Amino acid sequence: MPSGALAMLVLRVLRAGPLHGYAIAQRIHVLSNEVLEVEEGSLYPALQKILLKGWVSAEWGISETNRKVRFYKLTAAGRKQLEAELRDYDRVTEAIKAILRTA
Amino acid sequence: MGELWRRLWYLLHRKQMQRELQEEMAFHREMLERGGTPRKHFGNETLLQERAHETWGWTWIERLAQDLRYGMRTLLRSPAFSIAAVLVLAVGIGVNVAAFGLFNMFVLKPLPVRDPDTLVRLQRSAPGTFASSVPYPSIAFYRDHAKTLHAVVASTDRDVILERENVPARARFVTTNLFHELGAETGLGRVFDPGLDDRKDAPPVVMLSHTFWEQHYDSSPAVVGRVVHLNHKPATVVGVAPRNFSGLGLPHEPAFWAPLAQQPYFVEGSTVLTDTSLDGMVDMWARLEKGVSPKAAEQELLALTDELRRQSPKSVWDNERLVSEPGGYLQAVRKDDVPMIMLVGTLVLLILTVACSNLGGLMLARGVTRSHEISIRFALGASRQRIVRQLLTESLLLAAMAAMAGVGMGYLCLRVFLSRVNAPPWLNPAPDWRVVLFAGAIGLVASLVFGLAPALQLTAKRRSGTRSRQVLVTAQIAASCVLLIVAGLLVRALHFAVSSDAGYDHEHILVVDPDLAAHGYSATTARSYLDTAQARLRQLPGVTSVGLTSMAPLGHKNVTSLGGYPFGIFVSHVEPGFFSTMGIARLSGRDVQRGDTHEVVVSESLARRIWPGESPLGKQFPLDPSNALSEKLSVVGVVANARTMSMHDPDATELYQMSDDASLPHMVLLVRTQGKPEDLATAVRTITSGIDTGLFPTVRRLSESFQDEVGTVEKGAMIASLMGASAVLLAAVGLLGLVAYAVSQKTREIAIRLALGAKKTHVITAMLRQFVGPVAAGLIGGAGLAAAASQLLRRILYGVSGLDPAAYFGAIGLLTIIIVFAAWVPARKALAVDAMRVLRHE
Repeated sequence: MPSGALAMLVLRVLRAGPLHGYAIAQRIHVLSNEVLEVEEGSLYPALQKILLKGWVSAEWGISETNRKVRFYKLTAAGRKQLEAELRDYDRVTEAIKAILRTA
Repeated sequence: MGELWRRLWYLLHRKQMQRELQEEMAFHREMLERGGTPRKHFGNETLLQERAHETWGWTWIERLAQDLRYGMRTLLRSPAFSIAAVLVLAVGIGVNVAAFGLFNMFVLKPLPVRDPDTLVRLQRSAPGTFASSVPYPSIAFYRDHAKTLHAVVASTDRDVILERENVPARARFVTTNLFHELGAETGLGRVFDPGLDDRKDAPPVVMLSHTFWEQHYDSSPAVVGRVVHLNHKPATVVGVAPRNFSGLGLPHEPAFWAPLAQQPYFVEGSTVLTDTSLDGMVDMWARLEKGVSPKAAEQELLALTDELRRQSPKSVWDNERLVSEPGGYLQAVRKDDVPMIMLVGTLVLLILTVACSNLGGLMLARGVTRSHEISIRFALGASRQRIVRQLLTESLLLAAMAAMAGVGMGYLCLRVFLSRVNAPPWLNPAPDWRVVLFAGAIGLVASLVFGLAPALQLTAKRRSGTRSRQVLVTAQIAASCVLLIVAGLLVRALHFAVSSDAGYDHEHILVVDPDLAAHGYSATTARSYLDTAQARLRQLPGVTSVGLTSMAPLGHKNVTSLGGYPFGIFVSHVEPGFFSTMGIARLSGRDVQRGDTHEVVVSESLARRIWPGESPLGKQFPLDPSNALSEKLSVVGVVANARTMSMHDPDATELYQMSDDASLPHMVLLVRTQGKPEDLATAVRTITSGIDTGLFPTVRRLSESFQDEVGTVEKGAMIASLMGASAVLLAAVGLLGLVAYAVSQKTREIAIRLALGAKKTHVITAMLRQFVGPVAAGLIGGAGLAAAASQLLRRILYGVSGLDPAAYFGAIGLLTIIIVFAAWVPARKALAVDAMRVLRHE
């Protein structure tokens, strides 16, 4: 999966509310009908990148297993970024579909 | 912007952030394990963390810190090597810093005056003619009419006699706005005030320079208000200039400052304020109006020059214009200076080259002992790039230390230099940001030059080392060769200047300059003064003869030369008796005579240049060869060559003419003595100043000027020799190391050969053969480079060709001997090994 797409998925699952890293991976896995598997090796670099861009903020909280863990929360900038990426994504997929239909 | 802040914030908190990431990922694993994923599916934890951590883009800084720490430890582990390396490089960098520091001080650093960037120096220029000074009436005209100039400052120097002393002191006559204009108002007493000191009836005043005040008046504040006598004229000391007051950066700090308007008071009969001819000798500066560019000011001044030509046609040349150059600096770079700057730049860079290639050899040789360490690091999975970077970091550390030491050495060199030349106190040799930046840049480049090749070499798969060794040898030899040849040329030139015949008897002549022109003498009054003086001097016991000339030998004053010829022809106006007084031999024809107008005497060289192989007597000689109608001179006599203009002249192409009305006020008296000329100096001064008490003639020995001329070359030759010697020493040490290294790599081979019965000489030849090519290439390349560089030296290499065989063969011979010695020592040592022991060793 391209890293840009992963960032978009992360932002998308965070739209519903703050989640920690593991939960983000799980949510993507479940929502994709268990097709997409997000591994540590790509998830954490992507999260750091998103943090750097300022699209999410991180806060320490307590997990369901009662352990200290970092929760990621979408920022206003992140929300804007997500909308822009979704729009772009839609446009590109529409275009590809159009070609596939006619060709 | 936000992103940059987050990045910086991360850098400052990276320890904490890394810990948090680690925790977070540990939690992730726990959850995975809980979900039943087997452990072997997990990746390398550290690697994963590092990859996430890299996102922030700070890895390089951490690696750099690591490399620096490691490099520092490595250097500390072999302190002898580190100190040697830093010293070698510090010499190379220090020489460059000193040269740059000098350039910086003279050209780049503005003078310590207010707003130096809006100051311009204005000089007269016309096709084929140039004058650095402007007649004062013209300056006043420009000052009154120019709208682009905020203020105009003028200055002229003149030696004066203080009280009854024999040694003249320098007075600088300036417009009274100078001190206010340059923002120097903090000295003792007061500075000149245009409101007080410019009036016609203003009482005469002077200011003291800070240095003269210290040396002559013991820094006594009571000097303000005291009356001093300059040229026997009383004047009140109103103040002392501030210590760091540079004025307009003219060479030789004056002892006194005085208002220009009062110059005729101190110099009796002076016409400096009214003279519109070229004799004015007043220098002109201006401060530009705010926002006006020098070009715009030149435009306006050009229009004013045309206006001035209408008003007073005699004081302006055809097509004249005033040209500006930056005035707020000690020295503006002119076209003539560029070759000299380039030459010095080349020489110091060559020393740096020698130092760098030397150090490169050292690094390479040391690398062998480190090959074990490097192979371990490779085995542990380090990439070549990573190891090269590590090695380069070490070079960078060395270079940084050497650059610091170099800045110190450069500063010391400048201090010594300035104390030798009696520099004014405001010249500050302390390194400023430009010098530090320069040293840093030189160090950076040097570290790449000496560090990169060995680093690549040491990490290369196939490690023969021959190629880089050869490059290093060639570079060192070539650079040292150039330095030695240039030094040789300068030494030869010095030898020529000292040993060759100047063409006249400089040991027995006093030059007396009454400077009649500056005191407003006309041709008639000058004639009567000179006649009286000659008659009285001839009666002085010990004087054998007296002569007159318009161009004092080696005086660099009132120099006249003919244009239009492919070589300079210097014209002296003389009177009968000049040649016998100077001791210049007459070869054919006659002396000049009263009543001569177009009859001239030429030097042997001039005759040979224009009429080779013919008798010059009776030949016609056009004043301006490009103009067919120009006046013609006819040759009536030929004299031996005499370098009267300067010892720097490659050839004495001189022309002697009978004195005329224009030249009489410029005449100097030459007194030839039987014994030592200094014994008669006082008597001669008394006689010549007794005729007109308003005059203060200078009396000096011609041999003094001769020594000064030789001294300049001597200094140059000494500096060049020092540079050459240090380069050769560095090169010898470097070569010694390289050969030793090459031999040490082949100890086994040598041992086997010896054991099999090879002759020692054969083994040595085989060992050293690899160096023959590079050494030869270095010598040839160096000689070629030196030949090119010697063209830049043309101006100071008098009497010696730029391709002087003695200098070339001498340098190459000396270098070859040193090279053979440097190669022989380690090679011999290798042969002395016990073959069997070496073979059993492994």
